[in-house]
Amino acid sequence: MTSNFLEIKGLHKRFGNIAALNNVSLNVSKGEVIFVIGPSGCGKSTLLRAVNWLTPPDKGEVWLEGELVGSSSSKLTIKQSQLLNGFRARMGMVFQQFNVWPHLNVLENVVRAQLVVAKRKRADAESTALKILDQVGLQNKIDEWPDHLSGGQKQRLAIARALAMDPTLMLLDEPTSALDPELIGEVLTVLKRLVNNGMTMLIVTHELGFASEFGDRLLFMDGGEVIEEGPPKKILTMPKTKRLKMFLEKLDVTSFKKEEKL
Amino acid sequence: MLEYQIFFDYTPMLLLGFWLTIKIVVCAIALGIPLGLFLALGRRSKFLIVSFLSTSFIEVFRNTPFIIQVFLFYYVLPFYGLKLSAEYVGVLALAAFGGAYFAEIIRAGIDAVPKGQLESARAIGMTDWQAMRNVILPQTLSIVIPPLTNQTLTLIKESAILSTITVHELTMTGLMVQGETFRPFEVFIMVALLYWALNETVATLMRKFEQSIKKKRNPTSDSNSSSTVEKSEGTK
Ligand SMILES: Nc1ncnc2c1ncn2[C@@H]1O[C@H](COP(=O)(O)OP(=O)(O)OP(=O)(O)O)[C@@H](O)[C@H]1O
Ligand SMILES: [Mg+2]
Repeated sequence: MTSNFLEIKGLHKRFGNIAALNNVSLNVSKGEVIFVIGPSGCGKSTLLRAVNWLTPPDKGEVWLEGELVGSSSSKLTIKQSQLLNGFRARMGMVFQQFNVWPHLNVLENVVRAQLVVAKRKRADAESTALKILDQVGLQNKIDEWPDHLSGGQKQRLAIARALAMDPTLMLLDEPTSALDPELIGEVLTVLKRLVNNGMTMLIVTHELGFASEFGDRLLFMDGGEVIEEGPPKKILTMPKTKRLKMFLEKLDVTSFKKEEKL
Repeated sequence: MLEYQIFFDYTPMLLLGFWLTIKIVVCAIALGIPLGLFLALGRRSKFLIVSFLSTSFIEVFRNTPFIIQVFLFYYVLPFYGLKLSAEYVGVLALAAFGGAYFAEIIRAGIDAVPKGQLESARAIGMTDWQAMRNVILPQTLSIVIPPLTNQTLTLIKESAILSTITVHELTMTGLMVQGETFRPFEVFIMVALLYWALNETVATLMRKFEQSIKKKRNPTSDSNSSSTVEKSEGTK
């Protein structure tokens, strides 16, 4: 059971004549932290968005804890789309652009989906929210409006919002890429705590230092395919393919060095 | 010379017409805004028949003269056994006409909310409607208030057309008073002043409302929202 906590089977996705995903399969065990790297446009975001069916793939299946999240072979019935919403709540997603809800204050950002999706009572939802906001270091900001938060605080709020749904899996799409360098650390701190708590995560990132220190596995994608896969340190120090070598060379080597000290 | 006596003698009558105008417009808006919301959501429905019908409704009511719509409602509905008083016909016609414009305003408002907002709501497990209700529409509010206000002011002015189907609203009353007194200047100055006062009041209240929303959230103050104002006004 543990070995197929999350099963991604043969995902294909085309946009026009671009193959964003070309037969991507992946098995994730519970508690595993998987980093995805690759050049821009290689399909990293599409992969994460296919996992929670935000971008339904043309072909393939996704299974979470032995249950079918979605299969391209069957049309979404009303019943299935209800189930899908339940799966989505269990797969917390964090976006590069935060996407916090500006019309709700910090507390309500974390409370709202608990009420609407998980049907919790307000009192329970609020106490859960307070606990989680404390974990991400926003306990002093509960009445604040998102527009008054820094980028790092917004992203921590977005993480808190997802965590409030008690997800069993987190999907993070470049969670630090939109942040000023001095704000990256505070978000990574929160993510590291998640890793230490045993959260299963799929993280798209350019933070190679972070990936090599905390990842159980690293995926290098290019052209919609997984080109290399393995322990991060090994993959990063001994790339087998020319494509990965070129990709790593192009990445700013100095920033890699700097992050490794983190 | 102005004949001041007319102001005193006929004010009660004009106020009665004014009161009917207010009631008709309030009812038309109370019907028209939900209709507009329904049409706006219908237009983006994944059910083709719903989106087709919504789009057709919007296009027909936006692209025909209001006075013709009023005539159609007034003269054609009875043929189908629907005998309504002129006031009710007026409310329905105004609501349908307003609803078509409200729909386009609301749609533009929904489109103005960044795509990531809907995605984050769906990604956390909300249904499409829950996402609309909890995340998108509340953000649409501050965007659509200025154009909705404009459209409301238009509806107030367009309601004068209902005088052509014998609704005793302000304009009709004005015409009657003028028929009795033969003092068009005094009469229509008063009628105009009353419309102006009503519109000014509505505009001020809506501005206050908009500011109170904006102030609460104090966002990066996007004043470009008024660009969604409909360029065309009712009467052609
Ligand atoms: N909604 C869409 N419509 C059309 N093409 C799309 C869409 N989404 C993605 N694509 C295309 O699919 C390919 C993969 O996109 P994707 O966003 O998954 O790349 P990525 O690896 O996340 O890139 P980046 O590092 O820039 O975020 C790209 O060529 C992109 O242009
Ligand atoms: Mg991406």
